[in-house]
Formats: sequence, structure tokens, C-alpha cells
Amino acid sequence: MLQIRALSKTFGSGASGYRALRSVDLTVNEGEFFTLLGPSGCGKTTLLRLIAGFEPASSGQIVLDGKDIAAIPPNRRPVNTVFQNYALFPHLSVAQNVAFGLQAQGRPAATIAARVERMLALVQMTHLRDRRSAELSGGQQQRVALARALAPGPRILLLDEPLSALDLKLRKDMQTELKRLQRETGLTFVFVTHDQDEALTMSDRIGVMHAGRLQQVAAPQDLYDRPANRFVAGFIGETNFLAGHAGPDGVVLAGQPASPVPGSTHLPAGPVTLMIRPEHVVLGPDAPPGLMLQAHVERLVFGGTHTQAFLRLPWQEPLAARLANPPQGRLSLAEGDSLPVCLPFAALRFLPPEAADDA
Amino acid sequence: MMPDPAAADQRRRWGMAAPALAIILAFSVLPLGVMLVYSVLTPGAYGSVEWRLSGQAWLSVFIERDIFDDSIGPALAHFEILGRSVLLAFATTLLTLLFGLPTAWFIATRSPGARAVWMLLITIPFWTNLLVRTIAIQEMIRAEGVLNSLFRWLGLIDAPLQMMFTNGAVLLGMTYVFLPLMVLPVFAAIEKFDFRLAEAAYDLYAGRLFCLRRVILPLMRPGILAGSVLVFVPALGAYVTPQLMGGGRAMMWGNLIDLQFGQGRNWPLGAALSVALGVVVMVALVWLGRSRPDGRSHG
Repeated sequence: MLQIRALSKTFGSGASGYRALRSVDLTVNEGEFFTLLGPSGCGKTTLLRLIAGFEPASSGQIVLDGKDIAAIPPNRRPVNTVFQNYALFPHLSVAQNVAFGLQAQGRPAATIAARVERMLALVQMTHLRDRRSAELSGGQQQRVALARALAPGPRILLLDEPLSALDLKLRKDMQTELKRLQRETGLTFVFVTHDQDEALTMSDRIGVMHAGRLQQVAAPQDLYDRPANRFVAGFIGETNFLAGHAGPDGVVLAGQPASPVPGSTHLPAGPVTLMIRPEHVVLGPDAPPGLMLQAHVERLVFGGTHTQAFLRLPWQEPLAARLANPPQGRLSLAEGDSLPVCLPFAALRFLPPEAADDA
Repeated sequence: MMPDPAAADQRRRWGMAAPALAIILAFSVLPLGVMLVYSVLTPGAYGSVEWRLSGQAWLSVFIERDIFDDSIGPALAHFEILGRSVLLAFATTLLTLLFGLPTAWFIATRSPGARAVWMLLITIPFWTNLLVRTIAIQEMIRAEGVLNSLFRWLGLIDAPLQMMFTNGAVLLGMTYVFLPLMVLPVFAAIEKFDFRLAEAAYDLYAGRLFCLRRVILPLMRPGILAGSVLVFVPALGAYVTPQLMGGGRAMMWGNLIDLQFGQGRNWPLGAALSVALGVVVMVALVWLGRSRPDGRSHG
């Protein structure tokens, strides 16, 4: 089990110092595929480099199996990294690359040979064992980097955007491959990415980072269904945000203050953001219980399995709806239409107003 | 008949290469040819050569006749001088490597602006006349020189140390003169080095020494080889520095050649000795180029 406690990292010093990590607390469970997700500059790579030991922590603890490893140099931490650019040794063959960590550990030659064979088989690279990295495709380099990091038998495997250099098709294949490897080895993976699809499809749990802070840690579906704040809601998937207000009768839309959402009286009075995913917006009169609005269809965009409808509410707030395309024919909908729209109560989420980002 | 475009292209290529080829011909191939021809002629009475074929020069490179009993034996003096020159060139290469590697590393890891300044400092001696440089070193180490004065002032010594005209002095001079030739190519190699590879090595449990031996040195091998050739080859024929720093007591191959064209008035022998040195250099280059083709045999 890996525990991060109040971990902070500041690059530079004084007022000009850049605070890449701001007191991050996190527990990664045994055998978990854990993903750190966030836009570039959010601190996810810094956190990974701190766990690997490439950067010293400014304060806080990194506890692995009950032991604080924050002060231990990278070559004595039982974690290995798959680098974004793979960082394969260009002067060594595939097999020599995989053997590197084992040799550095001073394992006996027979152990090294056997382990290298197993790792090459695991990533299906046995037939290319004598190639140099320059002679390999991106996907093959990726596999070698994986085998090299797995070979010494780390407690945790760290992966720094390992798929970002691959084209889409290969990336999809490698996602499956990575997940398979993680299941087969039962190893704890800490995976860094800025790609939300990658994070949602592969992870057991995701930690969303923004501005050096961990915003929310949850399973992919919980993250999607119940985002903790506006940043998470906006970063994962498409979302409608509508201005609202919490009052004694419950939450109301700012543009339609007469109809409160039932069962929302527990929120403290004040401004609230209402959130609803486009696929949950229901068009037409035949609707489940929800907030009934009138909307104007501004634009329709055909997207294969669905059509995206860009609507405008009477008080000028935009609203996007995602409509499943019927098996045949077209949607009974055209640009310029004005029609009733339902925001089902079950799909509405209330988000706290953005906290000022000071400390 | 249609003009053949391939042939025209070929002619144009030759035309473009012509100036370079002419220079190589005039200043490299031709003098080498002259040396080869001179080495099989008869020495003139007052230097120069007489146009009579003779194998005498080449014979006396390898064989000498004892002046007392006319017995014939190998030219031990020549072999000794050659051995000394090779040893000196080898030691110079090793020393420039020993000092040049950390220096190049230091410079390559500075900020780009600082790098330019350091490179300038390293190469300033390189732009300075060889004699001036060598005499400057002499000034440092002679009996009343800077170093001895400093040591005396510090109370480290009572009498001046004899540093001039020793083997150490020769090595010092040679190392100083040839250091930039080692630093430049090694610097270029380090500058190209991807430091993420060192990070990967540390991540894979490598200590500093393991990383140096298994990742950094193998990847810097081309730079180190280039530097070694650039130092070793001219060091093998060096004669000004050994002469000035060593006081001419220990003769080098370069001095030997110099002697034949000067006081010795034996141009054919000088030419033969020059060609022999060229052959030694070629052999050394081939050996350097072929040694350790695989980075793994370092470990």
C-alpha cells in the first residue's frame, strides 16, 4: 500500500517559487490500477516523479509498506518507471535493456536470463530480443520499456503518459494490453495521463488533479456521475452548467426561480451550480419528473450514434443535449424549433461555487 | 546522340568536388608521394637528394651497422625512440582524457550562455602560438618560476623543485597543448547525451558508477574515440613540446625526423622515418576503430 501524506513540492524558492504540489494526501491500494488525471501543469507528473524519487519532496511523506521512502534515492526505491519517451538505452539490445535493472541489482546470471525470458514472453517481444531500440516501432519500444520496468519486480509500477506518443489505433491496443499486464501481474500501477477516455476505460480508481491539488479520488463511474466540483465535472466528459440558488424551498435555477428541485433543501443558502450531462437532457413533452423548461434549438450536429443539440434557454443560458439517433429516419427536430425540455431530477447534480484558489 | 543525363550528373558531381580534390592532391597526396620517392633515393652531400635509387634509407630505419666492428643488428635506437614516442602519445591521450572528460562534462552541464564562455576559455590556448604556449608553461615550472616561488612563499619547500626538463614536464606540456582537442569532441558527445537515460538507469537500481560504466561511457564512446585520435596522432609526431619541456634529452620520433632533414643531412632517411610514422598512425587508427565495437564489453 502506498500512502502519500501532506506531500508538497515547490520549484524555486521564495515568492517566485512555483508550487507544483500543494499538500496532497492519497492512498493507493494494493494491486490497484490507479490513474492520476489532469491537464498539463496540474502536478500529476511531479507527483509521479516524487514517488519515483527523481525530485526531492519539499515536505510531506511517501509511505510504502509502512516505511517513509521520501528520503531514499531512486536507485533504492522498489518502484520502477515507464517513461513517456520510453528512455530505452540505445546502445543495448532489447534483451540487454530488460536485463539492465536486474544486473544493476547484482542478481545471479541464471536468474537474470530466466527473468528476461519471462518478461520478453510477457510483452511478446521474444522474437525481437536482439534488436536495438532504434530498429523498433513505437509500440514495440513501449513493450520493451514495460518489460524493462517490470523485470526487477517492483512493488509499484509508475507509468508517465506511456501511450501519448502512439497513434490512436495502437493506443487503444496498448490500453487493453496494459490492463491485461496489470491483471496478470497483480501489480499496483500508478498511471499518469491527461486523456480522460484512457483514464475512464483503464482505471480502478482515478485521482483528478488541478493546480497542484488532488480534486477528487473515485472510481471512474462515480467520478462521472458525482463529480466533487466544477473542475472535475468539466474535465471528465461533457457537461452543462446552469446558474442556480439554494434557498429555503430547495435549489432553483436562477432563470426559473419558481420551481425548486424536490429534496434539495439540505444545501446551505447561497449560489449553487446545477450540473447535468447532455445525454440526460430529455427533449419533448414525454418526460420523467424533472425541471420543465422551454428551449430554442440553435444548432444540430450529427455525430453517428447520436446527434448533439445546442439549445438556448429563454434567459440566454446555453444547454447541450445528446440525442440517440433512431434506427431509421431522422429526429423530429429542426434548427429554429422551440420545444419543451426536461432536466430529470435524478440526473441533476449540485456543485459548490468555485472556491478561491489561494493557499 | 542524346546526352546521357546520368553521365552529365556524374560530371557535375566531379566538377563540384574538384576544388577539394585538387587541394587534397596538392597538399596531401603529392607531399606523401614526394616522401615516398625521397625515401628510396640517395642522400646528397649537403642535404637534398641525388636521383639514384637506394634502399639504404629504409634499411637503416630498421637495421644499424656497428661503427666499431661492422656487425649488423637491429636499429635499437630507432625502436627505442619509436617506443618512447608511442608511450608519450599514449600517456598524453590518457591524461587529456582524464582531465578532459570531467572538464567537458562540467561545461556541457552549464547553461547555454555559460557554456560558450567556458568553451572560449578552453580554446584560447588553442588559438595561441605553440611556442608561446610552451614557453608560458616553462615560466610556470622553471626553478625561479611561478610555482616554485609560490611553494617557497607558502613554506612548502626550501630549495626550488627541479621540474623543468623532466618526463613530468614533457607530459605536462603535452597535456596542456592537446587538452582542447580532447575536450571539444567529448563535449559535443555529452551535449547530445539524453540525461533522461541516466534517470532511467537510476530508476533501475543503478548506482553512479554502474550508470557511468554501462550507460554514459558507452554512449560517449564516439566522442572519446574522436578525441583520442585527435590527440594521439599529432602527439605521436610532436617534437617542439618534448624538445622545449624535456630539454632535448629524450629524443622523440619527431626530433629524429627533424634531425635527418637538418644536421643529419640525410633526407632519404628522414623521409623513410616519416613514412614509417605514417604507417604506425594508420595501424593505430585501424586498431582504435576496431576495438570494442560493442558497448557491452566495457562491463
